[in-house]
Amino acid sequence: MALNVVVCLKQIPNPDLQFQIAPDGLDIRRDALNYRVNGSDEYALEEAVRTKEKHGGRVVAVTAGPKRAEQMLREALAKGADEAVRVAYEDPGAYDVGRTARILAAALKTIPHDLVLTGVQSDDLIGSATGGLVAGFLGLPHASVVTRVDVKGTEIEVACELEGGLQRVMSVPMPALLTIQFGANMPRYAPLPAIMKAARQPIRELGPAALGVPSWDALAGPYAFRVRRLTPPAARGRAELVTGAVGEQARRLAQILREKGFVRR
Amino acid sequence: MGADILGIAEHLDGVVAPSTFEVIGKAIALADASGGAAKIALLGSGTTAIASSLASTGVEVLHTEDASLRDYTPDAYGQVLRGLLASIAPRLVLAAHTAQGTDLAPAIAASADLPLVTNCVDLSLEAGTLLATRRMFNEKVEGVFELSSDRAYVATLRPGATKPARASPGGRVSSVPVALDPTKLPTRVLRLERPEVSDVDIGSADVVVAAGRGIQKKENLALVEALAKRLGGVVGASRPLTDNEWLPKARQVGQSGKTVRPKLYLACGISGAMQHVSGMKDSEFVVAINTDPSAPIFEVAHLGVVANVLELIPALLKELGP
Repeated sequence: MALNVVVCLKQIPNPDLQFQIAPDGLDIRRDALNYRVNGSDEYALEEAVRTKEKHGGRVVAVTAGPKRAEQMLREALAKGADEAVRVAYEDPGAYDVGRTARILAAALKTIPHDLVLTGVQSDDLIGSATGGLVAGFLGLPHASVVTRVDVKGTEIEVACELEGGLQRVMSVPMPALLTIQFGANMPRYAPLPAIMKAARQPIRELGPAALGVPSWDALAGPYAFRVRRLTPPAARGRAELVTGAVGEQARRLAQILREKGFVRR
Repeated sequence: MGADILGIAEHLDGVVAPSTFEVIGKAIALADASGGAAKIALLGSGTTAIASSLASTGVEVLHTEDASLRDYTPDAYGQVLRGLLASIAPRLVLAAHTAQGTDLAPAIAASADLPLVTNCVDLSLEAGTLLATRRMFNEKVEGVFELSSDRAYVATLRPGATKPARASPGGRVSSVPVALDPTKLPTRVLRLERPEVSDVDIGSADVVVAAGRGIQKKENLALVEALAKRLGGVVGASRPLTDNEWLPKARQVGQSGKTVRPKLYLACGISGAMQHVSGMKDSEFVVAINTDPSAPIFEVAHLGVVANVLELIPALLKELGP
């Protein structure tokens, strides 16, 4: 059975960076950030492409985000997505996951889908909420933290990771939504000719009008959302730092480990 | 709109998740602010003993027993909880931010059209507005968010961020019968898979030397292994290393791997994402080596070394001698 697979991707600031708060305290400073595809979304994309390769069908990569996210969609095309869609939700922070998910769900209603894949969480906002919300809005059965996907006819058998290394194996009928965990597969690198081809491919843009609403506000949920303030986290028990050049640091660390009895001889 | 706070209990194999007692603790605190009562929904099959252990915290346990609730599924839990939402009209529904909680809370929020905020390190109510404190951007930024609605809020609470409820009198168990619609249970649980038994048990070692992305290449694991050997310990790993199959899954420290409490935990090139920290934060003495001075691992470490592990470990091995 050829499958319509939709994979939802998010472009995030590189989490290894140091972050500063914007002067108004309502977002991080975004003038000097570099962006990349969210970690677990890479595994979701790879799972989508592998599913297509095994069962036939096509993969549509979708993001709800600003123009800069087109770079990430081109990478997805180069790695095997057949079509890329940017839902023109321009909020750079997008802290209200309910709003993002409502917009994404409205867009997915216009894109055929047997299987919707997302990453397990975005590494910037770490909410693990978008996938479950989108499934709920679309009325799809879903499974979370999926490490193994096995399409069996009209059902999918999935292994879902629980705490402590346990896995729950479940069967879910399609159409369905799965949130894919890190390590579910080995994401591929894009070959150079595919990268060059993807640079010329069109990216479909969906704004409110294309989804039949006057503005994104028309999709708002029954609540008001506001960022009160962002701050650096209150320092809780910061480590005592061993300073100096590497040689001095090693000497001091060895001394402390000996004093504490961790070095037997 | 009522003022009660409805927590959701989590259990597996007859054992309550420790995070459930944190959910109850926060539910009690929030109920004080909302002027309602803290209640905890317990769904399952053969869970009478669990019900009494939850009631020992002084709250009312809303206990639903049904054969189709033996294993967690979002469908069956969703049906029962939507019924509870209609009958008690809580101010807030609270689950732990665990594999189950992150699966369930968004599904309920979407299907009942309720506002949602997840992975909160703290929550409070201020004149009907929910204030949610969250950690973001690799734990480097904290944010306070306001949600205002006349509908019930749905939230998840990060495990380990708040205090568990203590034993308290006044609790009781109320049976809540349910008639589940079997045609609306599309998800079937087939089986549970247990982790493989491994040659090395990182959970019982006194010294764990853990490697993270900072070691850059699989070949550099030899350095970490040499240090572990010199300290009489074992090698653990953060998730990216076991995902890359540089080390077996049984070596992974963290929420989805093993929880360890060694006498010495030496984190080599590990940034300290929530997932990892929850598996090692109770270690007796934590030393962290990382190039990024803003890495969250330095928050849980007792001793921090801002350095490249690939330079520091050889220097340390030299200091320690053969």
